[in-house]
Amino acid sequence: MEAIRTKIDVAGQERLSTSERETVFEARDISVFYGDQRAIDKVSIDIYRRLVTAIIGPSGCGKSTFIRTLNRMTDLVPSARLTGELRYRGIDLYGPGVDAVEVRRRIGMVFQKPNPFPKSIYDNVAYGLRILGMKKDLDERVEKALHSAALWDEVKDRLKDSALGLSGGQQQRLCIARAIAVEPEVILLDEPASALDPIATSAIEDLMHELKRDFTIVIVTHNMQQAARVADMTAFFGLNVTPKGSREGILVEYDNTEKIFTNPSDKRTEGYVTGRFG
Amino acid sequence: MRDLYEVELGELETLLREEGELVDRAIRGALNALARDDLELVDELVAFDDEIDSRYLTIEQGIPSLLARQTPVASDLRLVLAILYINLHLERIADYCVTVAKLVKLAQGLPRDAGVLEALAEMGERCREMLGTGLADFHARSARNFEALVDMDRPIDRANRKLIDRLIALGPDEAQREWAMRMILVSRCLERVGDHAVDIGEQAAYLVRGRFEEFTDASHKKSPK
Repeated sequence: MEAIRTKIDVAGQERLSTSERETVFEARDISVFYGDQRAIDKVSIDIYRRLVTAIIGPSGCGKSTFIRTLNRMTDLVPSARLTGELRYRGIDLYGPGVDAVEVRRRIGMVFQKPNPFPKSIYDNVAYGLRILGMKKDLDERVEKALHSAALWDEVKDRLKDSALGLSGGQQQRLCIARAIAVEPEVILLDEPASALDPIATSAIEDLMHELKRDFTIVIVTHNMQQAARVADMTAFFGLNVTPKGSREGILVEYDNTEKIFTNPSDKRTEGYVTGRFG
Repeated sequence: MRDLYEVELGELETLLREEGELVDRAIRGALNALARDDLELVDELVAFDDEIDSRYLTIEQGIPSLLARQTPVASDLRLVLAILYINLHLERIADYCVTVAKLVKLAQGLPRDAGVLEALAEMGERCREMLGTGLADFHARSARNFEALVDMDRPIDRANRKLIDRLIALGPDEAQREWAMRMILVSRCLERVGDHAVDIGEQAAYLVRGRFEEFTDASHKKSPK
């Protein structure tokens, strides 16, 4: 029987069906200015629930600026100004009547350098709970957060010890425990493993995989392989040089991580991920 | 670091190009050995396979090293994967050439049929043409001949089937039947060379288009995009 030609597209399959995704953040034409200088220009992106979304791009492309808009951390910079619309679960995050403190409780953040308070391990995790009045079942909440951050087994016998005695990797997981103790819905991670050794980095990456069952995670990383390992979706931010010579961050491409790292649509993404330019 | 990376990728592709040229020579040699019943050439071909194997092994060992050290992504990753698979296909084609050469030796002194030999020679030339087309597409980063390669493969498949009928019909003479059996295997080897050439074209298309498309038979439905 004559062979009949049939095309099978193997890699074209979408891993994550668009219809199954639930949008958490809807950013539309977000621009951020520091004084007169525009840091990011008209970024529009949807971020999905219980997925890990990585933001990659060269230095100065506005990755950190963008992630900080997601929990109104940019409010803390006096010269910063935001235009565009950012909706979180349909609510205008920058709209009137929205409490920035409540926003930051729901959308927690962990920074590049572990920054535990000079307090005990227990008090580091309990701190936010006490501030927010979540004092009921405090011990259970602290234990649960430390479990979720994969730190409990390492610290359960020394909860009263200073957090500053922990290793860098443990301190970073403590910061993650501190962030998740107040029961946020989203965790923003700004280069959370860049100051850690490979083993501690691996622990953080494993943890992200666990945490996405309960949380939506957005991570800024300089380490492209880390993005490839941990993220479901990847956004590539690039730099646009204006005619006046100033540099502004733009969203170049946003897609499934597999697509970004095997067959990106934009030449600029291709150039960056292959290390040829950008 | 990226300069070294570019050099290493370029070296792998150069080795593959050399391997492709050697494999083409091996097919030509196998066809000549068959046409001329040339035992000296048969021995040369068997020895020549070491040349191909050395390229094959260098590429095969170079790829894990490159993957581990340079972690290629995007078109670089597709290039490395395409080199990995094409390397394998070329090595298999070279093995078929050795098999053909050994069959020539085994068929030595048996009565031959000119018509069958002519048909096998034509199949072999078509295989060379297909291999050249697939490799040229790969090196030119083109998927231009992807579908044409499948069309080119069809007459080879048909010729293989016709040859089998013709060889079966050669008659009851035991020596002739033995020769026919050897030639059925030669035909089968050439048919497989054609299939590998199509696979090389698939790799060229994968490299260019960023998605893998396989031509298969009617029993497989098109997978969802």
